[in-house]
Amino acid sequence: MSTRRKVLLGGAGLLALGAGGLAGRRAWLSREPELPPPLDAQGRVLWSNWAGNEQAYPAVRAAPASEAELVALLPGAKAPIRPVGSGHSFTALVPTDGTLFSLDRLEGLVRHAANSATVRAGTKLSALGPLLAGIGQEMRNLPDINKQTLAGALATGTHGTGKGIGALHAGVRAMRLVLPGGEIAECSASERPELFHAARVGLGAFGVISEVTLENHPLQRVKKVVSLVDTEQMLADWPKLAEQHRNAEFLVLPFTGKSALITHDPTSEPVRPRPPDQDADTLMDLKRLRDLFEFTPALRKRAAQAAMVDIPPEIAVDEGWKLLSNERPVRFKEMEYHLPLGQQVAALREVIRRIERDAPGVFFPIEARIIAPDDAWLSPFYQRESGSIAVHAWYKEDHDWMFSLIEPVLREAGGRPHWGKLHSLGAAELKALYPMFGEAAEVRRAIDPQGRMLNPFVKRILG
Amino acid sequence: MTPLGKGRLMRLLFVLSVLALSGCGEPPPKPLTAEQSAALSPADPRLAKLYAGSCKACHTVKDSLAPLTGDRTLWDPRWAQGEAGLLAASIQGKKGMPAGGQCFECNPDDLKALIRFMAGREGEK
Repeated sequence: MSTRRKVLLGGAGLLALGAGGLAGRRAWLSREPELPPPLDAQGRVLWSNWAGNEQAYPAVRAAPASEAELVALLPGAKAPIRPVGSGHSFTALVPTDGTLFSLDRLEGLVRHAANSATVRAGTKLSALGPLLAGIGQEMRNLPDINKQTLAGALATGTHGTGKGIGALHAGVRAMRLVLPGGEIAECSASERPELFHAARVGLGAFGVISEVTLENHPLQRVKKVVSLVDTEQMLADWPKLAEQHRNAEFLVLPFTGKSALITHDPTSEPVRPRPPDQDADTLMDLKRLRDLFEFTPALRKRAAQAAMVDIPPEIAVDEGWKLLSNERPVRFKEMEYHLPLGQQVAALREVIRRIERDAPGVFFPIEARIIAPDDAWLSPFYQRESGSIAVHAWYKEDHDWMFSLIEPVLREAGGRPHWGKLHSLGAAELKALYPMFGEAAEVRRAIDPQGRMLNPFVKRILG
Repeated sequence: MTPLGKGRLMRLLFVLSVLALSGCGEPPPKPLTAEQSAALSPADPRLAKLYAGSCKACHTVKDSLAPLTGDRTLWDPRWAQGEAGLLAASIQGKKGMPAGGQCFECNPDDLKALIRFMAGREGEK
């Protein structure tokens, strides 16, 4: 064999070894997380959240079918008592070795009036859409995922997007709660207002919500448009686009130079049902690009741009409840902060810069939305128009980079964390961000002096 | 045995084996549409409520990538892996499916019954 051939073969061998090594490294980093046993030593059944990063073995699982059952169960329930919606929070709001209260049976419509409806708090948003459509109404907005219960979504400050449109709790006119002692409390802006302001975004620490009266809109048809744009152009145009559309948001696709702009606007155009979902396929394509070009960002960008050329906008026309939320079959973990709106674009630029410089393993999009201010004391949007920034990691993969790389940027910009999403803050830091934090804590102590509804995580954040 | 007789016997054995593989004449399963899947509900009223409140949200929606309820073309390969494995996966979560199928009041017996229903095996012993 000639020397040249030997060198060539040796080089090819080294390349193959390198490629094999990289593939093996990625396979190891993206392995399925180790699962806790289905039952613990005492035979208690595992509870885990949607993302799979929080677990518990509750001693008791209660699922009251009526408010009366809730009243009977709550005073004697084994602490810590934690209500659970659909388990979509990424933080440890729910885990308890005491009593887990599922609200699943407290569902359905109680009554309705013009543009308002009273519903049981365990109703899932996916069920609420058709239920309200049946009476000619719709919620003022919806989040990206609609599997949450209404109570869970409200308790964590869940939101959609849209200039001048508040988060879900901004549409709450009144609530009925069962307090830890078993007392039924009705509250609104005029009746027990301190409880209303504290418990609307209440982290499941102010009793268990049984009914919610929502101010709704008349059912409306909207046009959804998803289009690919250059990220630089997107960032420059964002303030204008947010004003122009009823609901606007965008997803920065890191390492590609591209973003997906998603808008919803009222229309009278004929129905054009949403096409089969392509988000999961797109996400896995982005993952494949990451797998192939993790250490060659220039090639990664070129390959992505070549693959994305000439992709036409995706358009659908239908009632809002059918279009605003999405199926998310690929599970993930998420950190989201809500910034003063004026800080959003600059912070987002820094987040993109840091990810593209220091976190080549990231392939999930970075999401930006806009939310109107409201007056709930623990609302991340309390008296502040907000621009949100959210980063994600596949449920199988590491998310430590969110804390080391991204959270400092979002905190520096004055951000308040989404209550249900990953963050590292405790009561002292949160108190500095929420002007009415102390008042909310007083209300909580008054209704639950023994802290029966606090698990260690909720204690950490509420103090 | 004559060669002719052996040939007949082989044909008979072949026909019998085909019948056995196809469930003694049971027609092969056909895929369901999302609408056909959504129309199904467990016979037991309590189970029907649990199903409607949790599993149905994903298992009747194609975009969720979850196997459609009642679609044996999707469920039979899973069923073949064994009921115990399906139960463990339903409690712990697997791939796109969250732990417990997001039915937090379900006990293991409920989950078993729900899996049987969705797999098109309700009523089988």
